Amino acid sequence: MTTPILEIRNLHARIEDREILKGVNLVIPAGEVHAVMGRNGSGKSTLSYVLAGKEDYEITEGEVLIDGEDLLAMEPAERAAAGVFLAFQYPIEIPGVATMTFLKAALNAQRKARGEGELSTPDFMRAVRQAGSDLNIDSEMLKRPLNVGFSGGEKKRAEVLQMALLQPKMCILDETDSGLDIDALQVVSRGVNALRNAGRSMLVITHYQRLLNHIVPDVVHVFSDGRIVESGDKDLALQLEAKGYADFDNAAA
Amino acid sequence: MRQAQQIRLSAAEETLIAQLKGAGADSTAERISVAGLPTRRVESYHYTDLKTLLRTVPPLAEAANAAEAPALRIAGAYQLTIVNGRLQAAPSAPAGVVVGTAAGDVLSPRDDVLVHINSALAPESLNLHIDGVIEQVIHIDRRSDGPAAHSASAVKIFVAESAKVTIIETFLGSNEAHVGNHATFLAVGTGAEVTHITVDLSARAATHFASNQYEIGPAANLRTLAIHAGAALSRTQLFARFSGEGAHADFTGLNLVDDGKHCDITLDVNHAVPNTTSKEMFKQIARGRSKAVFQGRIVVSRDAQKTDAKMMMQGLMLSDEAEILSKPELEIYADDVVCGHGSTCGELDADWLFYLMSRGIPRTEAETMLVRGFLAEVLDPIKDEALSTVLNGIVDGWLLNGK
Repeated sequence: MTTPILEIRNLHARIEDREILKGVNLVIPAGEVHAVMGRNGSGKSTLSYVLAGKEDYEITEGEVLIDGEDLLAMEPAERAAAGVFLAFQYPIEIPGVATMTFLKAALNAQRKARGEGELSTPDFMRAVRQAGSDLNIDSEMLKRPLNVGFSGGEKKRAEVLQMALLQPKMCILDETDSGLDIDALQVVSRGVNALRNAGRSMLVITHYQRLLNHIVPDVVHVFSDGRIVESGDKDLALQLEAKGYADFDNAAA
Repeated sequence: MRQAQQIRLSAAEETLIAQLKGAGADSTAERISVAGLPTRRVESYHYTDLKTLLRTVPPLAEAANAAEAPALRIAGAYQLTIVNGRLQAAPSAPAGVVVGTAAGDVLSPRDDVLVHINSALAPESLNLHIDGVIEQVIHIDRRSDGPAAHSASAVKIFVAESAKVTIIETFLGSNEAHVGNHATFLAVGTGAEVTHITVDLSARAATHFASNQYEIGPAANLRTLAIHAGAALSRTQLFARFSGEGAHADFTGLNLVDDGKHCDITLDVNHAVPNTTSKEMFKQIARGRSKAVFQGRIVVSRDAQKTDAKMMMQGLMLSDEAEILSKPELEIYADDVVCGHGSTCGELDADWLFYLMSRGIPRTEAETMLVRGFLAEVLDPIKDEALSTVLNGIVDGWLLNGK
């Protein structure tokens, strides 16, 4: 059997005294898109932050492997170089850091960590143009400080641009549809779908089914009270939308 | 006659008194004999108690024979070098620049001990007269060479009507416990545009004092930038006065303070006439056990209606033991003005740091990016490419030193 891109085994995590993840098990093979659905406060976003390496959480049990490597032992930057990319629900605005400077630093840091050479400025510019071509990202946006003054839609498009540029193998999309109107949702989804391929896996975290009409998952998981309580194909999402999460809460109990 | 209360003089004060007497500055000497160096009880020295901080004053500097090769070169700049207070052989000046020397004493009298000492001890002053648009950056390279010495130097600059010029002054020296006391008087003529930058790059063992006086004429535009990145004890005093209507000035500064250092920028701006505007933006970064001080006072005179002045201090603490102090003051005697001030202080934002790291940027590099971002507001307005490279290099050097 080939090694899955992501393997989560019995993951428990807490913030201060509150346990949020209570035994998550999830295997995502290469090329598959998995959706995690759950109501607010069920721990979905925590899962994404724990995978990306945010410091606020304490892992109390379990393990996570990326391509068979121990993900939890890595610093956030090492995780990125190993192929993990978190598209933030609320991308951070950083005044004083130019978007292009940031993109170049990120790309070259990852290349360096993987033992590849740094890109020359013309090659880098070409890569950015290519990554942004389907996302309606104009050069004015790239001249601004990172995410500063971007609209909600622009921020999400910028996240997908970063994803396209950095070419991660494990994309985690945290509520990517939040704050998007229908048009923006289509642009962003198209950008994400363009990145689907046999070597890349995705974990799509969402509250609503509508995103999954655009990014059609291979597997849908229902998340409740810190763990996965049900898994199925894409029809599970429709079932959830119709019935709500209440039934699954019982399943978890 | 009032009887002066006897105070206990420190070794530094004794030395200073002898040096001042030797220079014929009896009244300044007498003042220090009676009152000593300013302590924290003196309002303008509240955070920089010179009596405690200035432990020793080395012997007065002797004239240096020849300058060593400059430690800092700015590509394309016209460079003038002052060593131990005296101008070295000057290369031929660009058109529009007249270089000369005169007796010392360039600052207007003011109730300030550092000003008094400079006026008494500066052996001569470099005088610059600027006329027309000067494309070349003027670099005044002030140095303290030889064994540890107390040296005073002075520069007087007149910028004629409608002239444009960018001047940077750097302060460097041999790796000794020098005490430097430097002065610059800069008069900005009608409609002139001037950028004036001072950067302390002295040895850590040194003490750096500088007083810059600005007289800002009608419709003039001035940008100043004072950077501390050298001496363990430093204080730069900025005294500015708007004396003609329609002028604007940006006063900016940067305290880069690391372990064991105490750096103080003290600003005093007087809007003395109507219709002038100023923006004050000062940034301080402190790490290790250190102290960064900013005092900013804006005085709006009774007649100075329509003054618009906004002062801001932003501090970034990189360690728990660092102290960042800020004392903004507004003194407004006119009734139709817009004035404001603010101070913020914090650490690097953990969420910002995580965002950068989550994209593969290692922690130290991410921290450096955020610090550079924090400083961009002060450094970005310096448009000359060579100058900008040098200033960013100074900041990067400081950042790397701490790693």
